[in-house]
Amino acid sequence: MNSFIDLLNILLPFLYLLTFVIYSYNFMKGDKTFFNSKRLFLFLTLLLHSIYLILRVIEFKHPPITNVFEILTVLAFSVSFAYFILELHTDIRGTGPFIIIISLIFQIISSLFIEDLIEVKEVLRSNLLGLHVFSALIGYAGITMSAIYGILYLILYKEIKFNKFGLIFNRLPSLEILERLSFYSAIIGFVLMSVAILIGIIWLPKAFPDFSYTDPKLIGTFLVWIVYGIGIISKIFGKWQGKRVVAFSIIGFFIAILSTALTNFLAQSFHSFY
Amino acid sequence: MNLLALSISHNSAPVEFREALFLQKEEIDEFIAKAKGNILSEGLVISTCNRTEIYGLPAAPEISFDHILKFLLNQKPVPKIKNEHFKNYFSREAVNHLFRVITGIDSMLIGDNQIYHQVKDSFLISEKNQFAGFLMKKLFDAAIKTGKRAISESEISEGAVTVSYAAVQLVEKIFSNLSKKSALVIGAGETGEIAAKHLKERGIGKLSITNRTIERAEKIAGKLNAKIIPFADFKEYLPKYDIVISATRSEGLILNKDDIQLMMKKRNFIPTVLMDIAVPRDIDPASKEIDYVFYNDIDSLNIIVEQNLAKRKDEIPKVEKIIEEEVSTFFNWYNSLEIAPTIKDLRDIFENIRSEEISKNKNRFNSEDHEKLEIITKRIINKILHNPTVELKKLTERGNNSDEAEMKISIIRELFGIGRDSAKSEDEDNI
Repeated sequence: MNSFIDLLNILLPFLYLLTFVIYSYNFMKGDKTFFNSKRLFLFLTLLLHSIYLILRVIEFKHPPITNVFEILTVLAFSVSFAYFILELHTDIRGTGPFIIIISLIFQIISSLFIEDLIEVKEVLRSNLLGLHVFSALIGYAGITMSAIYGILYLILYKEIKFNKFGLIFNRLPSLEILERLSFYSAIIGFVLMSVAILIGIIWLPKAFPDFSYTDPKLIGTFLVWIVYGIGIISKIFGKWQGKRVVAFSIIGFFIAILSTALTNFLAQSFHSFY
Repeated sequence: MNLLALSISHNSAPVEFREALFLQKEEIDEFIAKAKGNILSEGLVISTCNRTEIYGLPAAPEISFDHILKFLLNQKPVPKIKNEHFKNYFSREAVNHLFRVITGIDSMLIGDNQIYHQVKDSFLISEKNQFAGFLMKKLFDAAIKTGKRAISESEISEGAVTVSYAAVQLVEKIFSNLSKKSALVIGAGETGEIAAKHLKERGIGKLSITNRTIERAEKIAGKLNAKIIPFADFKEYLPKYDIVISATRSEGLILNKDDIQLMMKKRNFIPTVLMDIAVPRDIDPASKEIDYVFYNDIDSLNIIVEQNLAKRKDEIPKVEKIIEEEVSTFFNWYNSLEIAPTIKDLRDIFENIRSEEISKNKNRFNSEDHEKLEIITKRIINKILHNPTVELKKLTERGNNSDEAEMKISIIRELFGIGRDSAKSEDEDNI
């Protein structure tokens, strides 16, 4: 089974690359070639990726959330899976390349550095940790998609404003749809991040003796959560719309990236085991 | 096939001649009533603002393009029109031309699918006037199939190719659901009316019209179930609208940047589309600097139109391939009609020769051998004709080159003189 897991580990970046190329080709050409079949490529990639994740759980006897590279492969899956569901539900097919490239990057990094971990710390085998990490991951997938749709909104806004009717204008859905997709993804991201934070607050102080509320990762996460919270509340109650709401989404995403990078590679944190 | 087609279109004649030869429905009825049986046995008349075309099977062998042209100009005289203003097509070329017309690749506005409906209506007129015979009905089915294939298998009709339609396409890039939006059309001239019509077709939620002359606005509003806003104070109503299309004949600006700024403040900067399709412009172009204002004028909309036209031009080879396939299918069917009579005529010729020779030479044989003679000679004829019969039948099979089939049939008919005797006997009957 181990060699099959290794084979899938090598294969997955290529599958994401192939799916990305097909989606991009269709985006560039805009004709009927691959218009329907591209979805099949994404489905097959996700199917093999889910088999890979299940096999890892069975073989290594823990969910793949114990280090940054395991988390990246789950994140790669979550982002593309969320997009797949969105594409099926809305039939909006023009934004695929912008989302799948994120999965491709995450999976390449994961496949290059992931190890076959059998021995993991006892604290990482907790069910609460599983719930905490999975809700955080889906939350991050949500804010990633929200930021991408936000960036696409800004690009299309500029194109229309300055009468540039190129590829972006022809292939992307309307500004209203992009804004809506960005907002809904942000809500999903915000709700799941709230769940992850709540579990974290209850469970982390018990599990980690060196837990601190001033930990950079925690501060970063709270900051992201607050930014998204302000954006969502402003949209619902303050009747904000368009660029202002989208800006919150993009800023929140970059704070999330920055905080993850800082805690994992630069700062000393109890949270830096992944 | 002796199908003739006479055409005057933007490819052959200037607009004044095309306009002069445009036939109203009643005029087409009149033309058919006079032409039926006299010059054409069955046919089709297509007449739009850009083309008038007559397709038909001649009622007599001597009927030519000139006869049809004279007949048409007799009904609708046009001074100074010349033969060079018309194009003629015969047989395969005529079918090919009809398919080019119905798919829109022969249209002035490439891919214009209005022509598809116009050709369809023309066939219905022919049918109603009992001018569409067996061949025309089959040609109609083939033409409709070709038109549908061009629409579904290519992008020949995709994208906006008129300024007013491009304006609507642009609006749809900003708003996702027009049924929840409101639009104001300023100016009830032809351009304003077309734009209002497009918005209505796209399901705009609320449509209002304002015009200096209220009567004109009322006329359009009645047709499109739109509300009328008094022109004198239309600016007060502006904040209520998500889309403003302006198409007046005003000499100067009717909305300046301050008007738009005020409107946006009152709208709490909810995205607003301003389409200025008037020449000279009605709305200050500086309005585009205001956040959430999407301002477009004729020039920017023309960019979309040009892009879409270029894309449609790129689709022409795809459509031509579809036409080629459908013309071949049509002629395969047509040739299959010719093959059965050709085989029968060929066998009749051989049988006539055989029976003639038998009766001439019967006396040279004993009476008990007559039956054997019949059997042997029939067997010889059957063996001689076996291969040609099989080959002719093969020509009707799918995938065969219809040109080749037509050629082979005509060679056989020519070599064995098939049809000559019947034509001769018909001539004798007429005498």
